[in-house]
Amino acid sequence: MDAMSHHHDPGRRRFLKASLAVGTLAGAGALSGLQRRACARSAALVAPPERRTRHVVLIAFAGGVRTRETFGTPQNVPNLRAMAEEGVLYPRTRTANLGHFGAALSIFTGVSEARGIRENERGGDPTLFEYLRKHAGLAAGDVWITTSGGAQQVNYSYGLHPDYGREYGANTLDGDGIFNREFEQVLARLGRPREMEADEKALLLRLRASLGSDSDVGGRTGALNDAESAARVEQYILDELTRGTADVRGANAGDAKALRVARNLVALFKPRLTAVVLQNADIAHGSYNGYVEVVRRNDAMIGELWAAVKADPALADSTAFFVLPEFGRDRDLNSRRGLDHGDGSDDLQLVSTVAWGPDFRRGVVVDEAVRTIDVTPTICELFGTDARKAKGKRLGGLLA
Amino acid sequence: MFPQDPRTEALPARPLDRRLLRALFLDLLGRPPLRAELERWLGAGLDELLDDVLGSLELRRHWLDEELYFFLLIDNFRPGSERVRAIPEELHEGRLDVRQALHRIALSPSFDLRNPGADTFVTVVMEQICGLRVQRMARELEIGKRIYDGGAGVFLGERGSSQSDIVRIAIESRAAARTFVAREYERYVHVGPPEKELAAWSRAFHRDPRVYLELLRGWLSSDAYRERLARPIPHSNRLFVRSIFVDLLDRPPSAEESEPLREALDGLSDSGPLRSILVRLMLDSGRATLPERAAIDDRPEFVRALFLRLLRRGPRASELATFVAALDDPTCRTETVVLAIVSHPEYQRY
Repeated sequence: MDAMSHHHDPGRRRFLKASLAVGTLAGAGALSGLQRRACARSAALVAPPERRTRHVVLIAFAGGVRTRETFGTPQNVPNLRAMAEEGVLYPRTRTANLGHFGAALSIFTGVSEARGIRENERGGDPTLFEYLRKHAGLAAGDVWITTSGGAQQVNYSYGLHPDYGREYGANTLDGDGIFNREFEQVLARLGRPREMEADEKALLLRLRASLGSDSDVGGRTGALNDAESAARVEQYILDELTRGTADVRGANAGDAKALRVARNLVALFKPRLTAVVLQNADIAHGSYNGYVEVVRRNDAMIGELWAAVKADPALADSTAFFVLPEFGRDRDLNSRRGLDHGDGSDDLQLVSTVAWGPDFRRGVVVDEAVRTIDVTPTICELFGTDARKAKGKRLGGLLA
Repeated sequence: MFPQDPRTEALPARPLDRRLLRALFLDLLGRPPLRAELERWLGAGLDELLDDVLGSLELRRHWLDEELYFFLLIDNFRPGSERVRAIPEELHEGRLDVRQALHRIALSPSFDLRNPGADTFVTVVMEQICGLRVQRMARELEIGKRIYDGGAGVFLGERGSSQSDIVRIAIESRAAARTFVAREYERYVHVGPPEKELAAWSRAFHRDPRVYLELLRGWLSSDAYRERLARPIPHSNRLFVRSIFVDLLDRPPSAEESEPLREALDGLSDSGPLRSILVRLMLDSGRATLPERAAIDDRPEFVRALFLRLLRRGPRASELATFVAALDDPTCRTETVVLAIVSHPEYQRY
């Protein structure tokens, strides 16, 4: 830690105190008692040539999560708190109530996406994944998303922008959609596919090649995975089905599977970018207590993922984390003693972002308002490229 | 009765070929024809087929599946209530029309569970049922939320004071009629509807939703539908799962078989690798009755039949040579030959 950042860092006790204040007075300047990092945008992200970040884990702690239940009640999120104490906390991250789908998509495109809540279509803007694959040259196996929300969420993988598209998309795995008991049972009835000998694989490729390519039969863009990458994905799915992920239970089962799959992917493939989209916190509509329990469990799972990264010599010193909700929730309980999202309050529209990594400041709280759409330009910058269609800006006050 | 899109004038009767037959079955019933159906309908007339399929219970079952998917009432949110499950039978028997069916879906506990809270519920009703851009209608949304919570108000021009009023008002609106007709046209014809004709179709549907099957018959008999065959479109994951069951086992899957597979495929941005796994599983399970390579006497004929069945066309000379040579190779399995076709993009379009 350099002398300057040390001078501005809050100690652990002061950080905790600040965090509590965030929760009770989110968006109301409650952190004023704490020494702050004044972070003019002009000072942000001057990229040193020796930058160490090689991998990024981006977690959309989505489903609608207020700061009140995270940094406002730090005992709910000991791992996020610890991550923030070693990294940078943005307690005034502005977002828009665009529905879960549009708001989470906005994180990945860097554009506020006004999408229908149940719209099951790809967006028109390129995603973070497409920028990194096209401009930073990452392969399909380097860029993954694990999700918890089912069919709609594969749309995060890539958009319909004519300069980008499927051939630059991320591999998306919906943990609950694939690794569940019903799917396992169907597969159990069919058995395992037999191993293919090399000769048979070669024959298969020859036969398929004789039929022409996708573009010969009306396909407009290239495949997301090439043959080698597709074979690795195929093998990974078969292996993951034997690891017990399908047996995960509980209120956050979908989120837990998404995080567990992410942890396994990180360990196996060491992707350059691993994104995770959670969703189960939305149980809050009908159950405040259930929601808090999901927040706690997800924090614990994020802690396991973080610990796995720190324990892996190939990742420990080169991996950055970003964790943020897509939006918060209403200020007051509804008639079912749950929490909806639609009141326009600061609890809904201001969330907290945590950033942790080898190139970031440590233990800093940035008071300046930022936006959820700033994350994609920031990650692109870390990979030496830019999100050229994004409307967000790079996060200020991040780099050490 | 309805104005025709210039592209949708009724065509002279033309016998059904494999491509058209497969497309009609996939669009209407969500599966390819079984072998016996192929034999029955190849060379028959389109009107005759439409008379049969449009009057079937299976059409109504597939329609309900598609509607539930549109509203994302799938997986954990799939309705289990008797009232929703009875929709296909009641539509088939004429005791319900499609607008009443939509109304019933939107009032189901699953719809409520899927779209919890005033903001989400009213937004989804406005967006999905009425096709409105809610971000531009903040005031209407606020009124709708108040009505949802039991307050009185005028929502989309009609007075209401409850959550069920929100659904009723939306479903009965002209916007809902237009949105539904446009959506259905696009689902069957795979292009957006022509504007002028859409207006007339929507008015007719708004007056009397029982015109639905008549509209559908017109769309499927149109030039626009034939034109769409020249632009093969990818199978959705559901169609892919149902297609491999029919093409490899000659039977449609049960919902218990198909839904977990569809859900798993839907969880992947590139479902290709998992599609390949599923085909391999099915072929290696021994359930597909394929002849042993050595037992195939006339290999060129076998390849031709396979291409016709799976790709709706005969093999080109180079393809025939490659496939026959493969079958001549003692290390080749018949399953590998079938896998090559079924895992290829051409099979996965229609």
